[in-house]
Amino acid sequence: MQVRNSFKLALLKQMLLGFQLSAVSSNSMSVPERKNAIKLSADAAMVFARGSTRWTRGLVAGLSENSNNEDLLRGILGKKYERLSLPCRSSWKIPRSRKILKRCLGLCSRRKKATATQHDVKSGSTLARRLVKKRIQVLKKLLPGGESMAGFSLLDQTLDYAVSLKAQVDIMRRLLKISKASNLNK
Amino acid sequence: MPIEMSSRRSRITDEEINELISKLQSLLPESRRRSTSRASASKLLKETCSYIRSLHREVDDLSDRLSDLMSTMDSNSPQAEIIRSILRS
Repeated sequence: MQVRNSFKLALLKQMLLGFQLSAVSSNSMSVPERKNAIKLSADAAMVFARGSTRWTRGLVAGLSENSNNEDLLRGILGKKYERLSLPCRSSWKIPRSRKILKRCLGLCSRRKKATATQHDVKSGSTLARRLVKKRIQVLKKLLPGGESMAGFSLLDQTLDYAVSLKAQVDIMRRLLKISKASNLNK
Repeated sequence: MPIEMSSRRSRITDEEINELISKLQSLLPESRRRSTSRASASKLLKETCSYIRSLHREVDDLSDRLSDLMSTMDSNSPQAEIIRSILRS
């Protein structure tokens, strides 16, 4: 699964804008300050490129918690900043999401070729269910805004987030490569 | 790309769930995919979490390396000019 090139271009542009706004190439910044500015630029750029979805709102909310970040966030996101900061309607009721999770579990175990006995199936599935619950708690912490998601939307947003992260990594790698190359020519 | 959910639609089909599961699986890099070929839900979730964590680490590492490089960049370098022209477009 891949993002479109227009996504990557928007990511790159906004990230570079962020670097410029926070003056990363100036000598007055400390090393941790510079790194934070770069990371913040990369995240805000990723949000800009993706637009409004639950994880991007979660990420903006998280980044906004530090008031020092506000200027750079506004600079990179522009009008999107206000829109992304609005509370979103939660349209999924939790009970329905639990049912979906059970169906996911069912579909997953059906994909396995199981030849378990009746006893195995019962204790196996209780253990599996507990394990799945545990992993889901972990996933919720990894996904921005994940704590308020459940079931299908949690997995769907996870996929969306992971694909966007991969694009962010890709752009940063390429930027690093180009920067190294041009530095050598000095 | 994302599977948008309209609040009017009340049923999520098995097909959609299967599609989501196989997309999550195909997301994982080749090396991890083999171990989840039997697709137990907990394995898939574990590998997904581990994948996201590794992406976070990469971003952190790349930020470190970029910040090292940026500190030696001066505003008159050809690279700065490239950046300016990208931003102008």
